[in-house]
Amino acid sequence: MEAIWEGLVEAFRLIGRGDGELFSIAGRSLLVSGSATALAMLVGVPLGYLLGRARFPARTLILAAVGTGMGMPPVVAGLVIWLLLVRSGPFGGFELIYTKQAMVIAQFLIATPLVIAFTAASIQALPPRLPDLLAVLGAGKLRTLWLLAREARLGLLAAVMAGFGAVVSEVGASMAVGGNLAGDTRVLTTAIVTETSRADTERAIAYGLVLLAMAFAIVAVLTVVQQRSPR
Amino acid sequence: MEARFDGVEFAYGEQLVLDVPDLRFAEGRVTALLGPNGSGKTTLLRLLAGLERPLAGRVLVGGKPTTAARSSVAYAFQEAVFLSGSLRANLDLALRLRGLSPDERRSRLAEAATACGVVNLLDRPANRLSGGEAQRANLARALSLRAPLTLLDEPLAGFDERGRGQMLEELPALLRRFAGTTVLVTHDRDEALRLAGDLVLLREGRVRASGPGRDVFAAPPDPETAAFLGYTLIPTDAGLAGVAPGGLRPGPGDFMLTLQVEEVVDLVTNVEVVGRGNGERIAVAFPPDLPPPGPGERVTVSAPTEMVVTFTEPPPEPVDRPSRASVA
Repeated sequence: MEAIWEGLVEAFRLIGRGDGELFSIAGRSLLVSGSATALAMLVGVPLGYLLGRARFPARTLILAAVGTGMGMPPVVAGLVIWLLLVRSGPFGGFELIYTKQAMVIAQFLIATPLVIAFTAASIQALPPRLPDLLAVLGAGKLRTLWLLAREARLGLLAAVMAGFGAVVSEVGASMAVGGNLAGDTRVLTTAIVTETSRADTERAIAYGLVLLAMAFAIVAVLTVVQQRSPR
Repeated sequence: MEARFDGVEFAYGEQLVLDVPDLRFAEGRVTALLGPNGSGKTTLLRLLAGLERPLAGRVLVGGKPTTAARSSVAYAFQEAVFLSGSLRANLDLALRLRGLSPDERRSRLAEAATACGVVNLLDRPANRLSGGEAQRANLARALSLRAPLTLLDEPLAGFDERGRGQMLEELPALLRRFAGTTVLVTHDRDEALRLAGDLVLLREGRVRASGPGRDVFAAPPDPETAAFLGYTLIPTDAGLAGVAPGGLRPGPGDFMLTLQVEEVVDLVTNVEVVGRGNGERIAVAFPPDLPPPGPGERVTVSAPTEMVVTFTEPPPEPVDRPSRASVA
């Protein structure tokens, strides 16, 4: 108990004095996970919209596959990307293995099914006649998409939160494809593993606190946006 | 603004649900599309709104294809659909999407909201309005557009009995004030006759009769249409006779038949006597001041000639294309 307390005190000291390594790792976490989430939104929202609105024979099968993807262990996603990017793999020539880009790709693979599933569910929950109403009122395609996205904002922002929450907290994929290289691909989660194995509890707790604070701050902002009623 | 169907066919998958060779909605007239459930009324309205494309033929609004005439059309769906936000924001959005200036929007919104009786609801969340309130708001949104062609799908659905009666009285004046050519869908004969000057009677995806309401009602083209319009069908030696609603009265007259009374139902304002005549089960309203017959008695009932139509030829068979099924 004493060790935990001391760890907490030391952690706050590290945060308070603006420890360079801590904030550099935190910034890298934000960059990697933020980029992966943004890419997942870019791909997942249109796909989720299509799955929510369109009716075609393989739709249910695709939805089931997306659902399965939501439960994919991050380490498996990491393994898949590692196999693709490793020097002897099909995309080895791009020399992406053990880079931040590889971590973004792996985290993108983790976040995208979540974004697709949340988007599809939120679009399906809209009144079915809404697109017809907007078409009849004369809204163009882009305006219609914007208005529908605004209506589905609860689900869409939940998709961002779920996607970001999943990737910022994962460790297996980042470790597998990033290699946890100090000063290069080490992010908060892999740093916690490293410091714990080194028995540097203070630092591990400090990283954990920063990770939680970061996740809380981002989710809090999104929640405020999500819960704000349009006039 | 005139709207026209020219050789239009529409199918859902392999099923042909609408076949309208030629149909015109005259400028400035109110036309009711009347027909049983599944007859193609709403599909016809959706084609007019450009929400569906015909399999064959053309739908023209003001001489233009529907896709080019969207800004000329206002459509109130049967189920009132709103975006989140206040009713005011919803009405304003509709006007904004039509490219109107803020001043024009304010004035049109206030005018339509007042006329439709929803001023007190403007700042309430549109998605939380009750059935009748939502229908009034739905109507206000469509009418505020002052479109040359207004389409109303079951405009009285969602009202309770009192609200429906009230709206039935108000709607003709609202349409005169805010709408140009109007096409409304209903499956209620009385509603159609009260709201519209013209009727288009649809059955199984085809127009069975069209024209001024009185003419369509007075001369149904076939027994099925007559039955839908509320005619009592009675087999006679000359063929099948159809007696207009309310045409049969107790006592002798031009067209007479004898009923073997089976049931007497007291409806307070009148007494409904149900009996068998010419092999058919027939209901006749007896005025409350006339002593009703008892079950088992035989009574003479009749109808004036002008309320009786006779069908001597068999009804035309629906023409199905070999590759498609007819409307279910």
